Amino acid sequence: MPTVRLRDAEEYPEPARRAFELSKRWFNHEFPVPPAMSRVMAWDPGFGTPHGRAMKRAMGPGEFTRGEKEMVAAAVSGANACSY
Amino acid sequence: MAGDALWYEAAQVVGITNALNVVADGLGGVMAPVKVTGASPEVAAVFDEIRSFYGGTPDIPGPFALAAHDPAYLADLWAAARHAYDDNCLARRLKAALAFAVSLTTRSAFGTGFHLAEMRRLGVGERGVTEIVGVTQMFSSYTKIADTLQLEPDMGDIAPVDPTPAPGAGAG
Repeated sequence: MPTVRLRDAEEYPEPARRAFELSKRWFNHEFPVPPAMSRVMAWDPGFGTPHGRAMKRAMGPGEFTRGEKEMVAAAVSGANACSY
Repeated sequence: MAGDALWYEAAQVVGITNALNVVADGLGGVMAPVKVTGASPEVAAVFDEIRSFYGGTPDIPGPFALAAHDPAYLADLWAAARHAYDDNCLARRLKAALAFAVSLTTRSAFGTGFHLAEMRRLGVGERGVTEIVGVTQMFSSYTKIADTLQLEPDMGDIAPVDPTPAPGAGAG
């Protein structure tokens, strides 16, 4: 069980709610509610916004495709024993 | 990256990379490797395969040189490693990147250096290396944030289910 209460999308300010909509496009998936990690990162825009930009820059296509990078990310998550 | 075969291959790379790193980092400084000169014919044959696979390098990677104290074990360890790292559904170039990312994540000095060299040998440029470092760094952050807050997985249904049977099923 999370150590914090994850707020519903409606409890976030408008810029965060716009970001939740953008994350649907990023993942090409119609989430019924924004993923927990999106809501966590939206809590503090001073951290979440630049962190999110860095993540999108790292995950964008370059020498490796987005799909290849998602696989690398899954491997890193596995090595970190993170089930999320 | 759809289809389970890709993910089985990625998991094999993660597993065998960790297995090799554990021995190389843990025993490399305290146990003598089997040297190429003086190796038994059985071990020498495997060493030749290893050198060929890694572009003709004169040195045998540490974990294999350590495993060579038991030739039968070396042969099986190498067969598994070769299968995991070779071109299949995933290309060797991506597999080297996966191995590098896992090694960096687990702070393996051996694996980080070895697989970084392999990535470069297989044609990954500095931009590509930087990309893999960035992904590794960002997801090392995300995973720790998620764990600290004990978030429960909620993105598992993004990937489509692969309905195909296991390889070989129905062939007999």
